[in-house]
Amino acid sequence: MEMERFGTNYLEERKLVKRWQGPIPAIVCLLFTLAIFYATWWIFQDPRGWMRMYTPYVGYMYTRWWLIVLIWMAYIFQYWPFRRRWLEKTHPLLKGIVLTAVSVVVLLLLIKGFFEALLGHYGLAYFNPKELLKLPGITEFFAIEYAALACLMFAAIASWLSPAWIVACEEAPWQDLRQPAKGISIWIMTFFLSTLIYFMTMHSHMGILYYPWQYFTSIAPPYWEKFANTVSGNFHVSWIMCCTVSVWLTETIWERYPFSLIKRNNLRRVVAFFGIIAIAFAMHFFLYFAQELTWGPAIRGTRRAFAPDWRWLHVGEMAVFFLVPALFVTFYCGNWPKKYSLPVNVLVRTGITIVAATLLYIFYYKTSHLFLGTQKGFSHPQQFPMIPTIWLINIWLVHHWFMDNWPGWKMVPKTADEIARDHAEHEAMIREVKWNPALGWGVGVGAVAGVALFFVTVWVLPILFDAITIIK
Amino acid sequence: MAEDKAKTSRRDFLKGAAMGLAGGALATMGIYSYSPWRTRHFAKVERKLADIGVCKSLKIANISETSWFDNATLMGDIKGAGGLLVNQYDYNWPPFGDGSGLGKGSYEKGIAKIKHLLPDRLGEAWDIIVANSVNPRNAGGYAALLEVEELNGKKHKYLLDTGWSYKWTDECFKREGIDKMLANREIEALFISHEHFDHFWGLPVTLKYDPTITMYVPEGFYPEGLQYVKDSGHKGELIKVQPGLKKHIPGMASFVFAIPIICRVYGEQSMYFNIKDKGLVSVTGCCHQSIIQFAETAYREIKYENDNLYGVYGGLHISPFEDWDPKYDDLVISLGKYGFEKIGCNHCTGILCAKKFIAAGYPVVRGSARFRSKDTAYLGNGDKISFGV
Repeated sequence: MEMERFGTNYLEERKLVKRWQGPIPAIVCLLFTLAIFYATWWIFQDPRGWMRMYTPYVGYMYTRWWLIVLIWMAYIFQYWPFRRRWLEKTHPLLKGIVLTAVSVVVLLLLIKGFFEALLGHYGLAYFNPKELLKLPGITEFFAIEYAALACLMFAAIASWLSPAWIVACEEAPWQDLRQPAKGISIWIMTFFLSTLIYFMTMHSHMGILYYPWQYFTSIAPPYWEKFANTVSGNFHVSWIMCCTVSVWLTETIWERYPFSLIKRNNLRRVVAFFGIIAIAFAMHFFLYFAQELTWGPAIRGTRRAFAPDWRWLHVGEMAVFFLVPALFVTFYCGNWPKKYSLPVNVLVRTGITIVAATLLYIFYYKTSHLFLGTQKGFSHPQQFPMIPTIWLINIWLVHHWFMDNWPGWKMVPKTADEIARDHAEHEAMIREVKWNPALGWGVGVGAVAGVALFFVTVWVLPILFDAITIIK
Repeated sequence: MAEDKAKTSRRDFLKGAAMGLAGGALATMGIYSYSPWRTRHFAKVERKLADIGVCKSLKIANISETSWFDNATLMGDIKGAGGLLVNQYDYNWPPFGDGSGLGKGSYEKGIAKIKHLLPDRLGEAWDIIVANSVNPRNAGGYAALLEVEELNGKKHKYLLDTGWSYKWTDECFKREGIDKMLANREIEALFISHEHFDHFWGLPVTLKYDPTITMYVPEGFYPEGLQYVKDSGHKGELIKVQPGLKKHIPGMASFVFAIPIICRVYGEQSMYFNIKDKGLVSVTGCCHQSIIQFAETAYREIKYENDNLYGVYGGLHISPFEDWDPKYDDLVISLGKYGFEKIGCNHCTGILCAKKFIAAGYPVVRGSARFRSKDTAYLGNGDKISFGV
């Protein structure tokens, strides 16, 4: 008798068959998910809507943690405890409803049970609003907001590390375990690492929320103050969000390239893990520089668009704008194009993503205040574009992972031959781009062009920014 | 055969070029973008040095800085209504209470109950407001009287903002003699810093005494706010000030910042005064743009005595709800290098922030904590400050 596999390799071993020709399935799915986005936005987040969770931090916290719970369910626990047959035979709509309901239960247990009740009562008071209310002068509103802030900062780290252990470390050393042992092992490891990094990056931010600064329990002023030109933990939010985006770019439009070229397993995993961080830091610094080029240098102590802390936060916000088109290309456009060599495919997709993200950024700031219940402006102190963008991403993840892109696509399990052919094609694709001296000239010319592209971008950015009126 | 080879080499070249392009661009991004070399790309700041003239002195009377009396009550309302992004006209706060409860109001329903009583029968209006609004007795308001003396000795009086609660604002006006000044047409204009409830919703009190007063509001007022000016019985000139610098009399200018603000408000107008032999004084309602941004804007835009940033008065919007964030520490740490000699802060600066300023050794002018102001750490209701006197 075959052992129950739950959802192990379910995503790789499903074949999504278009129900209609051409771009119709993608358009239908886009409209379907946007409709769900707007309905749920109105119910849960919109300041004019029903639950009005966009206070802002409460809605922000739930949005971020929901993303992570979805990653845990699909990537780390691979749909366990749901059986493979159920995943393959159940109607996508029912599957979406059931799995989403489970994700919401886990989300509530995590926030209310783990962070508020356990950690907040028995460890760090700032995770629990009731404990925070003991602070003289604090109002209930800010007690809830501070606790949500701490929680969502933890989430930022987990949203990078949870998928990184799958994408970069390839589940090692637990890749051969069965579920749920594998999921539990990876979950504990990534949660442990998230906790470690939380203490080293965000705890000081929370420590100086108090008056006087909590010198004896958190490092204050924090060690990054001189380098980042701020005592705010937003400096870390910035690079950590870039890590999250970098992981998903690697997993989706880059197909784990260039790390997949490394043959030795452990070396590939280590290089991928730290390579993703290196790419994130390149984004982190460049997107900050891009703001300096367009708005002018930051001025410490000021607020909003000129404040270093806001600029760092905005780096993370800008980075998430790149994630939206990248996921769309992979989920709904079959990771187009696929006809060139892997590096060329990756470059074309990256170019599409950059252009689409820029257009989305302009669209968001030009129009979102007309339909999200927010206000126009780049730097409203209580508005975070990461809330609607991640909310949309969450809905796409539910749609792609839990609903098999219904109704645009139909899920058919791949046959053993098809799976073998996929693996062979993947191997061939990697073989084709492995290093050989014939690539040398191209690499050299490309590297020079890459450096030139950077400086041309630096020159063009302020000119473009001046030419386009985003906010009147 | 040769064709195949050419095709292969072209494909190899493209593969290599794609690898190199991505690598070269990413490496340069990482190495160059936050390096000291990047500053070479920044445009040099050209000071415009606009001449706003010079005045002899500025006296400020704090009519009211207590916008609300109990922070927990106000924040409880904000929490209950759905947070800091909810439209202020929906809270059901006074004067727009319609009896439907927290977060369920609207300008139209609220004003319908009192419009016929504005601006003359405010006592009757207030009784209706108390019966229909959420926590009406928590409302206070912000207003200040500015007296500017020109070099030739000519004096001008202006109001900056007009409070919130009709009852409280009227009491404060009477306490400071503003009612008589308005009735005698001594006050030349009313500057509204921004559309927030605590700075603007007490408008009928000013108009009760002088409905013809000239009003300056920053561009960005929502339709409800503009309608409220009409519904309150304003008969004078209403000037919507565009973003940027606007000169008024010698030594006095306003500057409008196009910025979004909590509770669905847009745009803030603040004031500059260039005091003879002293330097620049910044006067603000809430200063949502930040005092350092205001100072930096002055440096870029205008010419002032001795190139010196002399003084500050008003709300500095740092911890209005006695909340805190590490970015506020950036402000506390940085403010010292701007060299202000006289800091008369209050209102949304926050008592906690004023205490941090004092601890940092900044020249904060202490208050008397009278008339329901809570702490001597900053200028309270009825306190006065002068520059160049």
